[in-house]
Amino acid sequence: MSRLSILPDAELVERCRAGESDAWNELVERYSRYVYAIAVRGFRLSEEDAEDVFQDVFTRAFMRLETLRDASALRPWLAQLTRRRCLDAISGGGREQAVDDVLADEGSADMEELEEAFAVREAVAGLSEACQDILDRFFAQDQSYRTISDELDIPAGTIASRIARCLRKLRNELEANN
Amino acid sequence: MVARCSRDSWGEAAGVAAQAQTIRDRAVVLAHTDGKVWEDALAALGNAQAKDASDARRDFALEQKLERAAAAPLEIAELGADVAALAALAGERGEGTYRADASAAAALAAGAARAAAHLVQVNLGVRPGDERLARARASQHAADDAAARLLGPTR
Repeated sequence: MSRLSILPDAELVERCRAGESDAWNELVERYSRYVYAIAVRGFRLSEEDAEDVFQDVFTRAFMRLETLRDASALRPWLAQLTRRRCLDAISGGGREQAVDDVLADEGSADMEELEEAFAVREAVAGLSEACQDILDRFFAQDQSYRTISDELDIPAGTIASRIARCLRKLRNELEANN
Repeated sequence: MVARCSRDSWGEAAGVAAQAQTIRDRAVVLAHTDGKVWEDALAALGNAQAKDASDARRDFALEQKLERAAAAPLEIAELGADVAALAALAGERGEGTYRADASAAAALAAGAARAAAHLVQVNLGVRPGDERLARARASQHAADDAAARLLGPTR
């Protein structure tokens, strides 16, 4: 985990504004999947169009970062830029799918799920490294308690409790963020 | 169920319920995978027995299928140990009213781990002393121990 990856958005934005290229790389890394997911899952763009949107959104973000009033509102700002660019892509591309339909879809379960997933991701980033690690191993890598126990050298009988405690912290973090 | 019903009295209950749900989802997928790889291995065995001449490519394909057929029950054995561990935790710290349900869950999970470890053992690709067999047996014993915390010794 890099030093920048634990920075809150507001501080990351300030560093980008100060011209730190590493901070910009971190910003793109942090939100690349988010922007891409809105384009593909929210607006059903093809991979090629989503790639164009992706490039354009981050170019615009780079050029207009100074105009972002509340630096902590980076995610909704990027989401808005992405949505506008997706609509441009659809209306300018002669698609059969009407923009109105897309606007209706925008409030769909996919988009809600996407927002929820990123809210969880942000909350996970606020946990200790130990909690992030054990949650990632169990929920993302599908590791058994025994494998986690072997790899982290902690008693197998304590794994479930540790995960449960980390989940409780995650819930607190989510509630605090909301 | 035990964890869900213990939320008022046990701070970790929601986290334990979430883990149980995740393990259940994994088990459903694994059960399908286990059936599929076993059928594939059986078909490959039948094919090999029907032809007398040795064929290196066919033998390799058969070996691969037997490997996959052993991997699925090994994962099931590990899941069984995880379920038994969760059930033991829920039985010990959850609402006392539901302890018997947790005990039943732990016993079933231990049985599943034992059955899965046996399937690993009888797989033709697994030899005595194979690390996979040792891991499956370790999971079986871990599940037995977890169940014994609620039920008393079973072996």
